Amino acid sequence: MHEQVQSILRQVRSEPPNVLKTLLAIQEQVGHVPVEAISEIARSLDTTTALVAGVLSYYPDLRVAAPGRHVIRVCMGESCYANGCGRVLRALQDYLRADVGESTPGGKFTLGTMSCAGNCAVSPTVTIDRDLYGRVLPSEVETILKRYR
Amino acid sequence: MSNPTRLYLSNDTSARAAGAGSLADAWADRPEVQLIRVSSRGAFFLEPMVERDGPDGRIAWFNVTPDDLPSILSGTGGTAVRSIPFLAHQARYTFANFGETEPLALDAYQARGGLAGLEEAFRLAPDAIIEELRISGLRGRGGAAFPVWNKWKVAQQAKAHPKYVVANADEGDAGTYCDRMILEGDPFRLLEGMLICARAIGASRGYVYCRQEYPAAAATLRAAIHKADEAELLDIDGEPFPIEVVDGAGSYVCGEETALLESLEGKRGIVRARPPYPAQAGLYGRPTIVSNVLTFATIPQILSRGGAWHASLGTEHSRGTIALQLGGRVKHPGLVEVPFGLSLRQVLDQFGGGMAPGSRFKAVQVGGPLGSLFPAAGLELPICYDAFAKAGAVLGHGGIVVYDHETDMVDLARHFMAFTADESCGKCTPCRIGSVRGREILERIQAGGGTSEDLALLDDLGETMKLASLCALGGRAPYPVLTAIEHFPVEFRSKLRT
Repeated sequence: MHEQVQSILRQVRSEPPNVLKTLLAIQEQVGHVPVEAISEIARSLDTTTALVAGVLSYYPDLRVAAPGRHVIRVCMGESCYANGCGRVLRALQDYLRADVGESTPGGKFTLGTMSCAGNCAVSPTVTIDRDLYGRVLPSEVETILKRYR
Repeated sequence: MSNPTRLYLSNDTSARAAGAGSLADAWADRPEVQLIRVSSRGAFFLEPMVERDGPDGRIAWFNVTPDDLPSILSGTGGTAVRSIPFLAHQARYTFANFGETEPLALDAYQARGGLAGLEEAFRLAPDAIIEELRISGLRGRGGAAFPVWNKWKVAQQAKAHPKYVVANADEGDAGTYCDRMILEGDPFRLLEGMLICARAIGASRGYVYCRQEYPAAAATLRAAIHKADEAELLDIDGEPFPIEVVDGAGSYVCGEETALLESLEGKRGIVRARPPYPAQAGLYGRPTIVSNVLTFATIPQILSRGGAWHASLGTEHSRGTIALQLGGRVKHPGLVEVPFGLSLRQVLDQFGGGMAPGSRFKAVQVGGPLGSLFPAAGLELPICYDAFAKAGAVLGHGGIVVYDHETDMVDLARHFMAFTADESCGKCTPCRIGSVRGREILERIQAGGGTSEDLALLDDLGETMKLASLCALGGRAPYPVLTAIEHFPVEFRSKLRT
């Protein structure tokens, strides 16, 4: 992993250095941003470890641990709220036996939420990895999840 | 064999979520079909919608399943697109291409009037471009509604270089999706608006800050930039004007212009104190125009049709059209572009089609998660900036979400405060601490442990947040909560400990 991070750091070097872009690039390839890499990243960007750690902890999408194989996110936006996203989330929690922020045993799924997917006219919305599902009913949750191995 | 029939099907994210993707998969191997993937008309309650050319314009089939193919091919049962009431009563200008063209077909964009605004901008002096915008009365569509020409004038007159043009594609307000539709469906319109701005203020670089929740939008825009570059469009008076798409990382407050600039610089997305305004000192301290995607997309036609044309639409202080995005428990959720001035009731009745089956109206929220709630008695309010300001409300980015009789207003209020507590950037105390305390009070009321003093406390806290917060997140967060209490007091009181 150390070498992978180093090679990414060489690739994304920009003028002026950009911490967020660098962290996103590392996460894109590694799956998360390893905390052990913070000082290496800071050195490469000629900045402080505090600044890198600060950016890393600020953004909801940046992760310091590998998520499950599939990341489920339930949209909690207002249109989804009005259309029953709470019931969809409960159905997912019951089926997966995992709470928001948790992964299933064995790491197949990680359950999370998002504040809006911009799919408000076809709500409620659930995303799994890059797939987006609209008009999701609590009763459909099981069928949808069975498509993922 | 005869030529395959051209069928038009949207490739918009929401159309795909409604089933357009699986329809395309089902028909992929049918030799009698030539599928053209266009943008969406925004009538999402009809998606997946399939169209074909008719002698008198397009003919559409609604909520199509793979089995409907024979009737579409034989031409039975379709409806003329121009007679769909949801669309026929709109004034589509910025969204005129939607449902018609392939998003990345630059020639089709140009054939339908695209790039005419940019050509006009090259004919005009920078001052004359800004004058045209002044005449147009265009105000920023992202939420702040600041006069666009004014911002451009400040940036144009600033001495520092380089100058930047930044499109805010961090459409974070829940209930809004028109920027996503533009990015996915008509990306050249955004690029054209940014180029006109660059020409007017003398900028040398452009950025589009796109939220990570919009992967299809970012991909389409990157492809559009590549095409525009190949067509040598990213060039102003012989100087290159590169445009880069930068990904966000899930922070709502990065839609606030100064937090967005911090994030573009790679830092924590923390709000900056203003002044100086970005037009004076923005990205890397240089003059920067930050505008919402819809604002930029509105500009090409102001140049090609003239500022006076734009000013002829709408009301005195709200010129032009507004892109309303209907969601929640309406029967017909979708995109509605109309001149400013219609009442909320007219929009919900004429376009929303009333309530979804089995639902009774309870409240409508306008302007995203920081927008005020209105009960049925508030629906006569005209949709324009001044009427909303007078009512202590905002239009925001034009999101309209309808809640039905099943909605628990105390839980909804808690949901709003929890959102702000999650998303506060932490720079100012009223928002950082206030939102957490507000959430705690509402949780207490919801759990049956609240008292009438808690309602008074929420009111006091709300006033403090409104007055003392640094940006609109903390400043607006109390509105949905306080309007919920104002219009549905019985629901709150019935949960209090006696």
